[in-house]
Amino acid sequence: MRTKRKPLATRVADAMGLAYVGAVYVFLLLPIAVIVLMSLNAGEFLTFPPQGISLRWFGALFANEAFMRAIGTSLQVAAIATVCSTVIGVAGALYVVRHATRLREGLRMMLMLPLMLPEILTAIALLFFLYASGVGTRTMFGLLVGHVLVTLPYVFTNVASSLYNQDGSLEQAARSLGASPWRAFVRVTLPLIKPGIITGALFAFVISFDLFNMSLLLKGIGMTTLPLQLFDYLRWDFDPTAAAVSTVSIVVTLVAVVWVDRTVGLRSLRFG
Amino acid sequence: MSAVMTAEAPPRSSARRKARPGRGAFWLIAPALVLIGVFLVLPYLNIIAMSLRPTAVGAPYGAGFTLGNYAHALGDGYILGVLADTLVLGATTVPICLLLGYPVAYHLARTRSRWGSLLYVLVLSPLLVGVVVRSFGWLILLSGNGVINRVLIDLGLVETGLQLMNNRLGVTVALVHVFLPFMILPLVGVIQSIDPTLEQAARSLGASRFKVFWRLVLPMSWPGIQAGTVLVFVLTLSAYVTPVMLGGAQVKTMSVLVVQNLIDNFQWPTGAAQALVLSACGMVAVWVYARLTGRFMKGLQ
Repeated sequence: MRTKRKPLATRVADAMGLAYVGAVYVFLLLPIAVIVLMSLNAGEFLTFPPQGISLRWFGALFANEAFMRAIGTSLQVAAIATVCSTVIGVAGALYVVRHATRLREGLRMMLMLPLMLPEILTAIALLFFLYASGVGTRTMFGLLVGHVLVTLPYVFTNVASSLYNQDGSLEQAARSLGASPWRAFVRVTLPLIKPGIITGALFAFVISFDLFNMSLLLKGIGMTTLPLQLFDYLRWDFDPTAAAVSTVSIVVTLVAVVWVDRTVGLRSLRFG
Repeated sequence: MSAVMTAEAPPRSSARRKARPGRGAFWLIAPALVLIGVFLVLPYLNIIAMSLRPTAVGAPYGAGFTLGNYAHALGDGYILGVLADTLVLGATTVPICLLLGYPVAYHLARTRSRWGSLLYVLVLSPLLVGVVVRSFGWLILLSGNGVINRVLIDLGLVETGLQLMNNRLGVTVALVHVFLPFMILPLVGVIQSIDPTLEQAARSLGASRFKVFWRLVLPMSWPGIQAGTVLVFVLTLSAYVTPVMLGGAQVKTMSVLVVQNLIDNFQWPTGAAQALVLSACGMVAVWVYARLTGRFMKGLQ
């Protein structure tokens, strides 16, 4: 890049730097890789090295009613929360980018607020508030509100950034040609910001699917989500069923990540 | 509230009015404002009220108001010890994350490898995989009969398994892993915005690599460092799952104590006061840090 022949000391420094960075990448991947490996273990326990490859623990997982119910609940909660936060987040982003004037920065901060506050503190605050207002945690309502709150900033920020990349002149052109605001939005703006919406929604889904603190404090009696069930299970049992269910959760995430990468490319993801 | 804001929102000049066809568009933001106003702002105000309630037997809280919960939280040696432990945990996790994260962020920002996208997934992966799953991964790695101890014993490096978890070490390792992406991502953004030709210019003018890094890249990436360190510190203070799973009964953090008071002991005012004391300490720490680093920043320039 700079000169053709680098001195030996530079090359050694380069190699050491690369090795260091590589080691950190391995560190990042290690716990996840080890779980997937363990879920394929043919042996009785979470022992290393695995005693052969088998899918028996996935069989045990599918036979485990508590885990299957928890997966169902998690998918359901994540789906409802994603739909809600996508609708609210897209509308909010449209207002903040296209219509807000002096209040724009304040509104943006407000919609990002759930991300800036510690999740567990928000969960505690919601728990108190739900009881104080008489709603309680008998229904799924409180849990859903918590999940929508936490996932809203992800939808908002991804949609807002794709809106900033369009200047709105196309929508105005459509309007001046006689399209109603709704029609102009559906036929012009929506297709343009679709990648941002898909990214935000998938992200919201993954975050909600994995959310722990909020679910711990706001779940109704007798209800459990996948992360909660796994947490409880690991208190008493330490067998490859837990690895199998973790692998399922990792695969759900992976599908979403690949989907985002295919649609818009991962580098366009926004976190705040 | 909404009436006040709609009255303020439309710009006065008629030219602006024409340029913005959706003047009555306030309903777009209304659901988000209601959600955050009712289910975030009010609950946070309500926590303060809760922390001033007396505790009661058989109910989450009693009637009337008292400062007793704060007196208890700030006067009890055990609670203060847990608070100090929590702050120390944050103060050790942050520099490790920075040391591990900065080179990776630099590499990710500058790489032109076609694997760049894959490496990005690698950095993102801990963020997207649930915290229980990640901590479970560390459980498999660090437990007494876990992967790391097995490998060490099989290689003949140690005789008996090392104590890698149920202590501060295990919790710190897992916390670093869990929060490393929050350090790397802001840094990648900032480093990408530094023009690589600046570095090349400095090099061609005879500055050593170290000097280029110390005088140019580091000062210019300071906003990212500040954002990342504050984020990781705050996240560490409020971490719950990782200390419980990897610390066992040995490592108690404030969040663990608070949740115990809420769920097991059913003493909401006590938990509320402790959560607020932790938040206040966190805010003071971040404020002091921002002041100090602000001065350091000026020194660098």
